[in-house]
Amino acid sequence: MDVTADVSVVVIVHDDEERLPAAVWSALGQTLRSVEVLIVDDCSTDGSYRIAREFAAAHPGRVRAFRLPENSGGCGAPRNLGVDHARGAYVMFLDSDDVLERNACRNMLEAAESTGADLVSGLCVRVHVDSRSGKQVKWHPWLYDRTRTLESIAELPGLLVFDTLATNKCYRRDFLDRADLRFPVGIHYEDLLFSARAYVAARRITLIPNRVYDWHVVDGAGARSISNRRHEIANFAHRLEIHRRVDALLAEHGLTDLEFHKDVKFLKHDLVLHLRDLPATDEAYRRAFAELARPYIAGFAPEVYREVRPVQAVCAYLLLVDDWDRLIPAADTLTNPDKLSSPLAERDDRVYWCAEHLDDPLGRDVLDVTALGYHTTPLGQLFLRNELTEYSDLGAGGRGPVRLAGRIVNPLGRIRADRPLRGRLEFSARRRSPQTFRFPLVSLRHAGETLEWTAEVDLARRLRPLGVLDAVWDVRLVLEVGGDAGGAGERLRTRLSAQAQDLVGAGELRVRPRLTRLAADRLEPRISRRGHLSFRLVSRGPAARRSEQVIRRAIATGPADTAKRKVRSVRRRLRSGDTKIRAYRRLLVRLPVRRGLVVFESHLGRQYSDSPRAIYEEMRRQGVRFRAVWSYAGDPAGFPKDAVLVRRWSWPYLRYLAQAEFWIDNQGFPLRLDKRPETTYIQTWHGSALKRMGFDEPGHKAMWRPDREAYQRALDRFDAFLVRSEHDVRTLVRAYRLRPDVPLRTGCPRNDALVAARAAEAGTGPRARGPLAAELGIPEGRTVLLYAPTFRATEGGQVRTFEIPFDVEQFALRFGDRFVLLIRAHYLNQVVLPPSVRGTVLDVTGRHDITPLLTLADGLITDYSSVMFDYALLDRPMIFYAYDHEEYAVHARGTYFDLREEAPGPVTGTQEELFAAVARLEADDAEYAASRADFVARYGEYDQGDAARRVVSTFFARGRRG
Amino acid sequence: MTTASGPGPAHPAREVFLIANSVDELGGVTTWTHRMARLFTDRGHRVHVVGIRAAAEEHRQHLGGELPYPTTTLYESGPPRQGRAATMPAQAAKLTALFRAARPGAVVIVTQVWAMEWVVIADTAGHTVIGMSHESFAASRASSRLRRCRTYYAEVDRMLALTREDADLWISLGGMNNVGHLPNPLPVLPAEPSPRTGRIVTSIGRLDDQKGIDMLLEAWAEVAPLHPDWQLHIYGDGDRDEEAALRRQCWALGLDGSVRWQGRTDDPVAALRTSSVFVQSSRYEGFPLALMEAMATGVAPVAFDCAPGVREIVRDGQDGLLAPLGNIALLARQLDVLMSDRALRDRLGQAARANIQRYSADGIVRRWEALFTFLER
Repeated sequence: MDVTADVSVVVIVHDDEERLPAAVWSALGQTLRSVEVLIVDDCSTDGSYRIAREFAAAHPGRVRAFRLPENSGGCGAPRNLGVDHARGAYVMFLDSDDVLERNACRNMLEAAESTGADLVSGLCVRVHVDSRSGKQVKWHPWLYDRTRTLESIAELPGLLVFDTLATNKCYRRDFLDRADLRFPVGIHYEDLLFSARAYVAARRITLIPNRVYDWHVVDGAGARSISNRRHEIANFAHRLEIHRRVDALLAEHGLTDLEFHKDVKFLKHDLVLHLRDLPATDEAYRRAFAELARPYIAGFAPEVYREVRPVQAVCAYLLLVDDWDRLIPAADTLTNPDKLSSPLAERDDRVYWCAEHLDDPLGRDVLDVTALGYHTTPLGQLFLRNELTEYSDLGAGGRGPVRLAGRIVNPLGRIRADRPLRGRLEFSARRRSPQTFRFPLVSLRHAGETLEWTAEVDLARRLRPLGVLDAVWDVRLVLEVGGDAGGAGERLRTRLSAQAQDLVGAGELRVRPRLTRLAADRLEPRISRRGHLSFRLVSRGPAARRSEQVIRRAIATGPADTAKRKVRSVRRRLRSGDTKIRAYRRLLVRLPVRRGLVVFESHLGRQYSDSPRAIYEEMRRQGVRFRAVWSYAGDPAGFPKDAVLVRRWSWPYLRYLAQAEFWIDNQGFPLRLDKRPETTYIQTWHGSALKRMGFDEPGHKAMWRPDREAYQRALDRFDAFLVRSEHDVRTLVRAYRLRPDVPLRTGCPRNDALVAARAAEAGTGPRARGPLAAELGIPEGRTVLLYAPTFRATEGGQVRTFEIPFDVEQFALRFGDRFVLLIRAHYLNQVVLPPSVRGTVLDVTGRHDITPLLTLADGLITDYSSVMFDYALLDRPMIFYAYDHEEYAVHARGTYFDLREEAPGPVTGTQEELFAAVARLEADDAEYAASRADFVARYGEYDQGDAARRVVSTFFARGRRG
Repeated sequence: MTTASGPGPAHPAREVFLIANSVDELGGVTTWTHRMARLFTDRGHRVHVVGIRAAAEEHRQHLGGELPYPTTTLYESGPPRQGRAATMPAQAAKLTALFRAARPGAVVIVTQVWAMEWVVIADTAGHTVIGMSHESFAASRASSRLRRCRTYYAEVDRMLALTREDADLWISLGGMNNVGHLPNPLPVLPAEPSPRTGRIVTSIGRLDDQKGIDMLLEAWAEVAPLHPDWQLHIYGDGDRDEEAALRRQCWALGLDGSVRWQGRTDDPVAALRTSSVFVQSSRYEGFPLALMEAMATGVAPVAFDCAPGVREIVRDGQDGLLAPLGNIALLARQLDVLMSDRALRDRLGQAARANIQRYSADGIVRRWEALFTFLER
């Protein structure tokens, strides 16, 4: 083999004279000097070949130019010609509209020579060349997060499946020859087949994290017409043909695992791209598409459907069985993943996408969407499909009202016919604008699986846009579902899904803008990218058109544009944390402290709960004169109405903190906010510790000194730290390195209620069940068990997704007649329960306050959660389910004592042991009574039921107040 | 043209400039610089070590005898704090003069990014420039060096990290596609390994926050009661307050009976020969020399897995034991495992001495020569 360079770069070009030089220069300007360039022109009609020859003349020995005798229409033929003439030890491909990163050849060559790989592949970046913000998107970066070498493609199926490019790679030339690797000619998607063949044939593949190739993307203009949809069908046929050839290749090499991954990717990506477009297509297109796609996916194994998102599987399946009536709505959920677009069906305690196809085993499997929890999600959180069924202009010339009608899916009949129902249409501008125009519905009624509605909206008279800033108007239908005896009402928001054919004949509506009629005077109905009805303000009258041009020019020119950007960046800077902290430190803490101002926060503002709440309520009960501020993080619902509510991190929040006389919280006000000496910080804390905390945690220990010191400064803000026992002093107080005068031995205010409940029970005998039991619908005579595990973190410190670590259906089967199980996960986690356990297993994760749940529960199942210390005060049975003790207690974090030795109840490690312990709950209770008493004495000695009172009398006694 | 001697592919003899913050300041980078300078000289290359500033008297490292290569220091008393920029062109001109005097094809190796600030304004035309980062990526990220490396090493022919993992992290940051890696050479291979009979655990390192002696003492407090016949020998000195704080902590933990403060040592191998276990409790590291010395002496290490360099040197369970950074309980458990098992100490210690030789000086210097040649292609 003739080798005169380290790397040959084959640059292919067709009618691209403008961009070709940049591509060639990117190859000539490589840091690796030993690079030769072969420019292959696919018989261009412009000056591309002339430019190629000029390069060759200017760089003899480094650049050669070739030309195909006639246009091949693809990338395959010119690249093949380049490979045939290459003299480098390695070959790379470059398209005339892209560029190589400067070090690409050097990095590829180093990797190839150091590992001996036949094929080296690096990171490709899609550069959106006409994006104003310089948008760049890495191509499957997860494949290129580090250097790695594969002996076979079977080690990393995702590489073959996802990185199907031929261009971000470097091929040993004798490998291309040995494996007879050339591009197919006369078919699109030649990269897919070529890359697959290269991956399969390579004896070793090295991946490098370096950026090697910039793929220049020109963002397409406008919507596609029917004619280029025809074109798409032809492309789709090519795509399927290439996929079939790759499948055959994989089968030939026995790479069945790769085939499986490839099928999964096809359902997830390739097919979804086309399915999303379906609502906007016509009959002929749908037929042609289905005829191509169905036979291809018919060959997929049932397991493939389990690997993709449920709605993707549902859509593929509905396509497979040719059920267009359900497929088109389902495609709406592909575009709007939050949306529920089907009325669903419940059969045999499972929830299915639809009632049809359930006699087909595959259908039954794919259509089972129980795990998505549509049956338990609160109504107000559902986003239901609302299909527009009528759009008609009632008046002539766009002056009259418009009649709209539609139907909203009613999943599982959850919007009950016996509940009061109201609805209205709301028009609001997409860009921030205070204006919303509301129109009542004319009719709204239950109709089988849907709610049908009609409305007449006189947009011409009633909608008054400003005219310039509010160019696009969105439409929502808001449903108010009245509450029944027990519950509050709920509000659902829907969007109107429309198809192009619905708007055929829909005219523009005249409107009267507020600012100036000169700007825009017509409202044009259109369909948004997500398939929803919206309106756009346009100019039709000659005066309006002229003035719009003037305004647009003014907005588009430099100064106005720059000014806009500046305003935006100033706004962003004002909102940023750093600015706020600076302002807090320099300005806010100079304001006077306001006597009697108390800021409360519980769990970083996420809840109105725990000891801060107990203290707050005690202060109210005693009639202490103070000004209360509660911080909330998400939604202020559920927080007390007689306090000032401020959003955490908002400007008012910072101002109140700066001026407060007292801070009361259970976890920590933002660490970087210094507390001024005039303010007293009462840290109630939120539980005794089993797992190591503070500076006893590896993460804190490993911090560098400046970080440790900053953390310590934040901890030193505490003026009082409430403790429940000397255990807290030995663990928490030591771990946070608090001053000896800081711990306050009052007990934990939130536990006063538990001590009181225990005392009441001891006095009167029977356990009194409060209103909570009725609210949860717990029947008399059933024992209530609460499962309250702690959260588990990933290695990166994120909260891990929660899965109930035992089979709740089994639990319901075995214990449904005796027990009701309440499940309370960490507040950041979500629980989905199957319908089969309805009434027996209840999700109580969303409840702000755990104390009433503890009081209600006749027994507790937990693991390492601090809830064990609190619940023990009730002297009721406890079971410990420590299925991952070794990992949790030893490796992740470490504990202060060995749970298995000190637990005041059985410690179980498997589901069978857990269920056995549940079965013997009452029988074994007496056995653990002594160890429970011991446990309370050791870990809760100061919890005497008067903690809140003691805190209030220490800090807010009448004598102390001026 | 003369060629470098020794077996293996012949490499042309070159002029090699090693540019460091200082020629003789205390620290691992200085040790590394003179070790490499000797190795290059032994291979027939002409070496010149340049320091930007003179080391302060109290931070000076004893280099031992006559050096077989010239050294130059730019600033006799260090660059001024104010108006430094104005003084730089004149000093960089000295570098330019040195570089111009060299034949084309010389190699300029900048050991620290601070020194690179002078090299970027000097004329390096015709030569290969290599910039180095002698610490883990995480350590750079936690300081201003991440930003400075991205600025000053952007145009060098190669920036070298210590491990592949560190290099990948630099690359994945984006914008730096000129990053490679080369490990440190083994500083020493003692003829005789430790007999591993002394009931001593040894720690060697400056008494400062980085070395995590505070965490080591906490771990020792968990292990010592289980092994009353063992001692912990802590070598190294540090700032007075720091040392006093550590001694106070030691006393408060009741460890005065089992911990010996040995002070700084110039002969780590002798210290290691008395011991059977080596412990490293650092918060961050690059490619730690003390760890390599311990393994070369046949002493099995227990270490916090605080950097890619540590997990590349130690193969957990084969030639040493690792614990997640900051997990005192596991560090203590790993110490306990080794201290309780003589056979395991011997097996890991022998494996450590054998395995660490993959970083032999000869092998590493050849990798450098191969890199010089590669960067000329």
